Amino acid sequence: MKLSSPADLESYRRELEEQTDTSAKTVRVCIGTGCAAKGSRTLYKLFCEAAESADNVTVEAKCVGCHGFCERGPIVVIQPGNILYQRVEEPDVAEIFRETVIGGRIIERLLFKDPATEEVARTEDDIPFYNIQNRIALRLNGVIDPTDIDDYILHDGYSACAKALTEMEPDEIIAEIEKSGLRGRGGGGFPTGRKWRSCREASGEQKYVICNGDEGDPGAFMDRSVMEGNPHAVIEGMIIGAYAIGASQGYIYVRNEYPLAVEHLKTAIGQAQETGFLGEDILGTGFSFDIRINRGGGAFVCGESTALVASLEGLPGEPRAKYIHTVERGLHGMPTDLNNVETWVNIPAIIRKGGKWFSSIGTEGSKGTKVFSLVGNINNTGLVEVPMGITLRKIVEDIGGGIQNGRAFKAVQTGGPSGGCIPAGHLDAKVDFDELTELGSMMGSGGMIVMDEDTCMVNVAKYFLNFLQEESCGKCTPCREGIAQMVHILERISRGEGKEEDIGTLEKLAALLKDTALCALGATAANPVLSTLRYFREEYEAHIRDKRCPAKVCPGLFAYEIDPDTCKGCGVCLKNCPVDAISGESKKPHAIDQDLCTQCGTCFEKCPFDAVIKV
Amino acid sequence: MADAKEELIQTIIGRYEKDPGMLIPMMQDIQSEYGYLPQDSLIMLSKTITVPLSRIYSVSTFYSSFRLAPKGQHEVTICMGTVCHLKGAGRISEAVCSQFNVKPGGTTSDRLFSFQAVNCVGACALAPVMVIDGEYYDHMTPESAIEVLSGLSAENEEQENKKAEKKKSKKKSKKKKTSNKEKTE
Amino acid sequence: MPTVTIDDIKVEIEEGQTILDAARKAGIWIPTLCYHPSVAPKASCRLCMVELQRGDSSRLVTSCNYEVYSNITVKVSSEKAVNARKGVMELLLARAPESEELKTLAEKMRVTSTPYPSVTESQRNCILCGLCTSVCEEVIGKAAIGFAGRGVDKAVAPPFRQAAEDCIACGACVAVCPVGTIQMRYHEDTNEVEISPFKARAKLGTCAECGAPLVPVPVNEEVFKKGKIDTEELRIRAALCPECRRKRSAQTMYTAALSSRNP
Repeated sequence: MKLSSPADLESYRRELEEQTDTSAKTVRVCIGTGCAAKGSRTLYKLFCEAAESADNVTVEAKCVGCHGFCERGPIVVIQPGNILYQRVEEPDVAEIFRETVIGGRIIERLLFKDPATEEVARTEDDIPFYNIQNRIALRLNGVIDPTDIDDYILHDGYSACAKALTEMEPDEIIAEIEKSGLRGRGGGGFPTGRKWRSCREASGEQKYVICNGDEGDPGAFMDRSVMEGNPHAVIEGMIIGAYAIGASQGYIYVRNEYPLAVEHLKTAIGQAQETGFLGEDILGTGFSFDIRINRGGGAFVCGESTALVASLEGLPGEPRAKYIHTVERGLHGMPTDLNNVETWVNIPAIIRKGGKWFSSIGTEGSKGTKVFSLVGNINNTGLVEVPMGITLRKIVEDIGGGIQNGRAFKAVQTGGPSGGCIPAGHLDAKVDFDELTELGSMMGSGGMIVMDEDTCMVNVAKYFLNFLQEESCGKCTPCREGIAQMVHILERISRGEGKEEDIGTLEKLAALLKDTALCALGATAANPVLSTLRYFREEYEAHIRDKRCPAKVCPGLFAYEIDPDTCKGCGVCLKNCPVDAISGESKKPHAIDQDLCTQCGTCFEKCPFDAVIKV
Repeated sequence: MADAKEELIQTIIGRYEKDPGMLIPMMQDIQSEYGYLPQDSLIMLSKTITVPLSRIYSVSTFYSSFRLAPKGQHEVTICMGTVCHLKGAGRISEAVCSQFNVKPGGTTSDRLFSFQAVNCVGACALAPVMVIDGEYYDHMTPESAIEVLSGLSAENEEQENKKAEKKKSKKKSKKKKTSNKEKTE
Repeated sequence: MPTVTIDDIKVEIEEGQTILDAARKAGIWIPTLCYHPSVAPKASCRLCMVELQRGDSSRLVTSCNYEVYSNITVKVSSEKAVNARKGVMELLLARAPESEELKTLAEKMRVTSTPYPSVTESQRNCILCGLCTSVCEEVIGKAAIGFAGRGVDKAVAPPFRQAAEDCIACGACVAVCPVGTIQMRYHEDTNEVEISPFKARAKLGTCAECGAPLVPVPVNEEVFKKGKIDTEELRIRAALCPECRRKRSAQTMYTAALSSRNP
């Protein structure tokens, strides 16, 4: 059905509202990648079957997108009551349906139990992981069926688009975005309003808008969840942006490794075209705009805007010199506006509620909220959307629930491979673009990897540099050769072959890359090294001078020993040692011959009594 | 080159209005069809959309998802994202490589599966993650990885045995053949 | 016409010209490797870095592709710029330790050695400047070679790493390679030239009159494919060496002069 005016949209929305029984029983099953990996699609099917065969009662089984609490998946939410069940398995379906959906009774064991306080949460709002969050970008994630445009419209979807296209001039829209203070959510943090304005003012016979869905930072999955769970919001944002800038064609560039996101976006675009939000004469305004999806080919560097543009032109994803900005000369040499998924998703909310509202949240330099992927050695893993300016401590302790297994916090890595590690001493720092940069890290796309005391920071730096070496396009000398040199040094250091001058050389290379690399990948490549040097220099020095890894991670730089008090003399270690380094009599404490030991770790893993310790 | 292939390439190119800028989606569609990028299909592509073959080769070797050699029956990828790495993905990869005699980016000698390391599939809460034919396996260990992949081997053997048995039964009388057919339908 | 103040020397250049153009006009030398006037600048070697002033601060930019549209101030000999260029050259020397041309250039920059070990392998000192691929595509129009792979494994190669089929053995890539990686070899026994390392071979033409060697056969063919003139006379001349062409011209003129005297 095609809507040809804002009035049409409003009356359609009202129709949908009337058809919806808000007191009806609904079962929302998350089918985002995380929950789907644990079989939630089967759960959805089973709930559908149960709903169909329910006699006197109308029950709706609905599939929804990523809630963000992937650790606890599969997640099922029952209405009325907003009852959240976690780690649901197939055998639970019948019980849930019978007890909770029909009977209105709670099944205690499926509720979320805080690992620290042991408190049980009945609804989503009772869980600190959720109730500390302020969901703007993720507002509808977990609420709507991402494959159903009607559900989106019912929840005010496309109303911002209607308002922008019929009640606002392009300049007004841009002014509103400028007022909001929205800064790019992909990592650059460039003021969005300013970017739109430059693109609008640039001259070219054709303008483009692009959505950068090439979320490559390892540990980050915010954009995946949005593209899977609320694709229409991305589309709506792009329509508004295209209208403001004067673009007639849009592209969504999605990572090849996100097949579900591609699928949901394709479905959403098809629905938007059918309903009249994309294509010719949108809502009768005379404005025409359409969107095409391109899948990445598997290259992290394509998250860089000029490389992405090159990829869209059918070329290898090599970045280009940025003296002439993409907003002036981008795709096919035309003015192009490129924004991240999360940036686009904030646009409809800003248009609906106003730039002033958005700027009332956050700090002076960083307005609004940000979605972070909180992962690593933390109890509550998942996506969190919080106002800018919240402290790291609040995220790690209150939302994250602290470190797993009672270990101690060591650092939180933010900003992906271009970012850095922030230690415990700065946990009270405010999460804000500028503050994180000052601490030697950066906001980046929002990855927040929590590391505990058993993490070796030299190993972390080495991991990131290896990653960047794999992903470097290889075009420019400093990045290609400089990163290879840094990897070589870090590998020597973690093998115990570090030299006194290594730290100096690493710092020298870092400065060289920052000044001479062609793109941000190369220029920021040294950040993992620099930030770990800044806060954990002693670890580097221990590796180099003492040939010792304090965190006991780097093979050869620590030793395995058997604790004679714990050892029961069962002999499992002796039997499994590949180099016969362990000796001992039955039922008497065993010992490892350090001269023969290769630190393979087999005894450590196999010991049923945890008697093998790292020293 | 077989006519069927030619026709397919023409269809794919037509799907994107012969736009040379859509080279990568065209190549992705070709790879979807054949499981890899056959050399002759790329040569035909080069001629039809007038893009130099050297550029097509550049593109096919630049992006990690493109394959110039046939892949295995199953596609196995292991995530090497930060969280997976911290939780031991490296050791899992080593174990798989040594057990099945395969290198990352390669295929086992019996073409059972192709093995590739990828950067972060966005399922960090399930780390370490392995994806087999699109299905996600969570919280893997070297042992569980080997177990699952050996299961693939066993499946393969079972299929081979079934095929061998089918061949045997075909040799029997025609009457029996029809009755077997009925059973499977 | 914007003015570029480069190391305190003022030069006026056309809008859209680069800092490198300004430097050459001012007589200031900036080392380059991946720059060549016949192809679009790639700015990939990062050797031509200079310091661009902006108020109190400055940043390093590549001079070969920085287009000038307003008055700017540039420092080529500042410590920051010199160190940056030196650093890049040191990385290059580590990658391509056996290129004489590279060492000569380094010396001119007063870089005598590199503190870095060789950790990447180059194909006969190739520094991946891309001039060969650019020239082959943009100037010759054959695109017989291109980049293959990514990152440290990147290399210049013909498609599928097989002998370059589209190569016409014109030698443009040989001429433009700044580090001596690409070479043209003559195989006397088969009268062929080979572009090494691309495994492309082509027979040399032979003068129809005297048998002297001519340009490779595919080059001649390419000229006729691209050129707008194709006459019998041109074809005959294309099969002659310069000496025999002169003789033919002289013969033609003599014959014409004779017939004009004796109508």
